[in-house]
Amino acid sequence: MANLSDEGATKDESMSSEDVVVVVDQLEKIYSGDVRAVDSISFNVERGEIFGFLGPNGAGKTTTISILTTQTLPTGGRAEVLGYDVVKEPGKVRRGIGLVPQELTVDDELTGRENMELQGSLYGVPYSDAKERIDELLDLVRLADSAARKVKTYSGGMKKRLELAEGLIHRPEVLFLDEPTLGLDIQTRTSMWEHINKLKKETNMTIFLTTHYLEEADALCDRIAIIDHGNVIALDTPGELKKAVGGDVIEIEVTDCDEDILEIINGVPGIALIDGTCAENKARIKVPDSGAALPKILTNFITRDIQVASVMVKKPSLDQAFLEFTGRELRDEESTAGNSKKEAGARKGRFRRRR
Amino acid sequence: MIRETIALIARDLKRWYRTPAQIILVFTTPLMWLLLFGQAFNIGRLAQIGDTMTDLRLVFGGATDYFSFMAIGQTAFIMLFASFFSGVSILWDRKFGFLSKLQVAPIPRAVIPLSRIASSLVKSMLQAAVVIVLAASFVLVPGLSGLRFSPSFGFADALGLALFLVLLGISLSALFVALGLIVRNEETLFGLINLLNFPLMFTSSALIPIALMPDWLRTIALYNPITFVVDGMRQLVFDTSVGAEYTVAVDLLGIGIFSALMIGLGALLARRALLRG
Repeated sequence: MANLSDEGATKDESMSSEDVVVVVDQLEKIYSGDVRAVDSISFNVERGEIFGFLGPNGAGKTTTISILTTQTLPTGGRAEVLGYDVVKEPGKVRRGIGLVPQELTVDDELTGRENMELQGSLYGVPYSDAKERIDELLDLVRLADSAARKVKTYSGGMKKRLELAEGLIHRPEVLFLDEPTLGLDIQTRTSMWEHINKLKKETNMTIFLTTHYLEEADALCDRIAIIDHGNVIALDTPGELKKAVGGDVIEIEVTDCDEDILEIINGVPGIALIDGTCAENKARIKVPDSGAALPKILTNFITRDIQVASVMVKKPSLDQAFLEFTGRELRDEESTAGNSKKEAGARKGRFRRRR
Repeated sequence: MIRETIALIARDLKRWYRTPAQIILVFTTPLMWLLLFGQAFNIGRLAQIGDTMTDLRLVFGGATDYFSFMAIGQTAFIMLFASFFSGVSILWDRKFGFLSKLQVAPIPRAVIPLSRIASSLVKSMLQAAVVIVLAASFVLVPGLSGLRFSPSFGFADALGLALFLVLLGISLSALFVALGLIVRNEETLFGLINLLNFPLMFTSSALIPIALMPDWLRTIALYNPITFVVDGMRQLVFDTSVGAEYTVAVDLLGIGIFSALMIGLGALLARRALLRG
């Protein structure tokens, strides 16, 4: 708690506006043994947006959520939720937020409805409203028909949906979703996405979610912070993040060619190569707009009588964005704190050639 | 605070009575002990093999037979075992994330241990009642000796009996719930529980008469909180101070002090365990 000296200071004017519901300012969590789980991160979350925290396992996502939901104390910096300091006024923060944790915490021995009733009691939902609200939420997550059954008879997806409904019982202003679809099959995941999108559309609730699925961040979030080794390394809309990757990738393979095909492509009028590599008969190029470039290249090849064996176009995805910003693939990441942080920083914004 | 406490007590009890195995155990565990230990371990008969006619009441805390003596000890025994389960259950709640759900909820932290102590008390008192009813009903079974109450045993004595058990239950579950909150690993918790349970039980006069103990053990037993409880309860049930170690008032004071200590220690540990790290 060494760096909390400035936490009593009045809120920054620009941050205290009604539209900012989460303020994180140089937040830091260092565990014993100098493990920097969260290393001085700063960001704001605006009212009504779905804000995504994207990063590999061990990047610091859950620690951040844990601090924001008053379960863990930061070792430095400041965080406010709904205008309340998470360290000094945890009670007020708790009343305004909902949390759907990573692990399933619904009680197996109780029925779905009993779980909801318990949650209602814990959050002080008035008795007069409770029943109606529980019905409404069970309906929303399509569990109305199974509400009288013990939760141990539920599938993993149903439990997760019940967990989501529980998080909504007190109509929180901010909902924290920690890995909402972790371990769910594709179908259940898609339906979970629908629920979250519906929630946003119908209630204008602010949603803070963590995920290590790029598709998920892409499908749901208004803004995404890419976090790695406790640092926010990029923060923008999915579109802008993809744009930062800089254009489409085209891979062209020709059957037989003595000339350097990269040279030829470079010579085609109207083609502006951002980057390109060539190996044997295969060229890999990056252009701003593949739709415009590809016909020109192919026409040029035909006039030169070059036989094209295959063409592949890759639109930029968040996958590539992640690779771009961190220098690593997201999927096979086994994060160990601090190993390639510096490298990742150095690679930032540069096009990285792949074999 | 009351609403969430009641909701959590209800949740805990539902988990308990909806598990058939738990209900079977409520009856079979005391049955085993009363039958196999209480009936087989007939110290009274041993004592009477010699010619000297000892007043057995001096040995058996006012009871005229070993079974009546141990049946009362068995109620304390069952309180001890029921209470340690509350500590184990709260560790499971941490493992499955239920505890963190409670920690995020806008409820006073104290509700977490208090509700668990209360539900533990309901369970353990029910089990103690089962012990007494079973032991008393042995009278009806030919060939078995049963728990024989003094004819003057009345409502006030029953209340006194309940008070002793409640105080014991509160102090033990306060201790075990706090341990369950602060210890994060099952093996350690089980080890700790064993380390506490067996000495607590076998250095008391719950199952073994103090008169039969060697001097060193007798000294320990006289300060064991369980001894205070069973000593007081036997005087109420058998309506005599013959064979008692203390007066009922001293017994009550003894377990009262122990309860206060355990509640204090429990609150201290629980507070530490529920603080944000």
